Amino acid sequence: MNTTVTQDMSFLHLITSASLPVQLVMLILIMISFLSWWHIFRKLFVVRSEINKTDEFEDIFWRGADLNSLYQRATSSRYESGSLERIFAAGFGEFNKHPAGTDTEAVMESTRRAMRATYQREMDRLESHLSFLATVGSVSPYVGLLGTVWGIMNSFRSLSSVAQATIAHVAPGIAEALIATAMGLFAAIPAVVAYNRYATATDRLATRFESFMEELSNVLQRRSIR
Amino acid sequence: MSINVLHFHSYSEPKKFLSGALALLMHIMFIAMMVFGLSWKNQPPEGMIVDLWSELPKPVQEPVTSREPSKAIPPSEPLKPKPIEPPKPEVPIKPESSKQTTSPKEITPPIKKPDIELKQKPEPIKEIKPNLEDLKKKEIEERLKKIEAQKKEQEQKQELEKKQALEKQKEIEKQKELAAQKQKEQEAKARRDAEARHAAAQQVAARNQIAGEIAKYKAMILAKIRSRIVMPPDLPGNPVVEFKVTLLPGGDILDVKLSKSSGYSAFDSAVERAIFLSKPLPLPPDPALFNEFRNLNITVHYRE
Repeated sequence: MNTTVTQDMSFLHLITSASLPVQLVMLILIMISFLSWWHIFRKLFVVRSEINKTDEFEDIFWRGADLNSLYQRATSSRYESGSLERIFAAGFGEFNKHPAGTDTEAVMESTRRAMRATYQREMDRLESHLSFLATVGSVSPYVGLLGTVWGIMNSFRSLSSVAQATIAHVAPGIAEALIATAMGLFAAIPAVVAYNRYATATDRLATRFESFMEELSNVLQRRSIR
Repeated sequence: MSINVLHFHSYSEPKKFLSGALALLMHIMFIAMMVFGLSWKNQPPEGMIVDLWSELPKPVQEPVTSREPSKAIPPSEPLKPKPIEPPKPEVPIKPESSKQTTSPKEITPPIKKPDIELKQKPEPIKEIKPNLEDLKKKEIEERLKKIEAQKKEQEQKQELEKKQALEKQKEIEKQKELAAQKQKEQEAKARRDAEARHAAAQQVAARNQIAGEIAKYKAMILAKIRSRIVMPPDLPGNPVVEFKVTLLPGGDILDVKLSKSSGYSAFDSAVERAIFLSKPLPLPPDPALFNEFRNLNITVHYRE
């Protein structure tokens, strides 16, 4: 009963006094959390710039700009093109490679293939690291829980040697252990939110790309027949 | 050319390092929030003394009755060491002796006064004698002179005697006064002693009553605790466990400390649990007696 009421329950003290497995779990979680936040910010910038560039290119394209000048702009190294521009460049470049008088069907087929390949590459780039965010969102609570379970296990084991069990004996251990869960949740919650946001954004971009591909192939087909 | 077109643009990642810095900033903010904003230092409860009174009017009414015995107790203690009985024999003896001494003195003055009167009577007889015998005038004159001288001497003697008598009377009166004073003092002393004895007796009775009350409530506390103990079965011998229990007014338990373990932790913890279960402990309604219960030593035997 004569346990001291005052226990140093500061955050840092709790972390440093935790057992080694719990500390390991905490370290892993901090790294995971850092990586996931890094990817969240990277994806944020990538997706935002992609949406802006797509809007910009669609605007220019449908205003009736010259396809050759658009191609020149897209392929110039000084200009940083967007995904949609690259798809257009791949398709238009493939279309122009065929000499005049070749079978329209064959030309359109190869053009569509080239656009699809670029589209898939672009989608892969946009969707990269999204799976990492999904993994972090689903796994890091469990990792944190593992640390918590381990910490609570230890604190209860140490309790068995004490004749008079009080909450004061268990509380510091549980508090230490619960920090692991807190860290896991801290990593998981933003990761899940970001994953959902970016997945939706890339899906919408993908539908825009696909519809643009169909529309471009129509435009090129009309051009080849003429 | 086609390869050139496809891979013309390297996938340049925009703001790669900025996002890294932002992630770092995010974590620094989070940790700072945890460390400073959410300081988990639980401070010791200083000055958290709360008196829980089951009824409010009690402390107002009862101290009046309770303080009387409590006030009566302290004077009794200094009085007690004084031997109460020794003054008793002195009291009856002294007044008697003083009365005996004073009574003879009172008798003596009336005896002496008649002596003076008798001596005064011969004077007229001697005066008549010279009138009857004119012949022997000289002799008579001489005699008269002698008689006068004698008279004078007698008068002087009488005056002296009177003075002495007066002085004696004064002395006697003084003695009487002294005796009376002594008597008064002795009587007062006797009265005081008697009062003291009476008060002491009353205090003893009150203390006996208080002690009885305390014993009664201590027995009640023990009984209540005993009734709540779930005894661990089959302990060898008769282990004894001692607890120091700190109570709050109203019977709540502030602290229970194991002062002497029985050696069987199951028994110790059973008794401790029982002590906590039996709160509020029964306390006498008189708050003045609470000091007797503030720190209780509770001893529990495994077998009664």
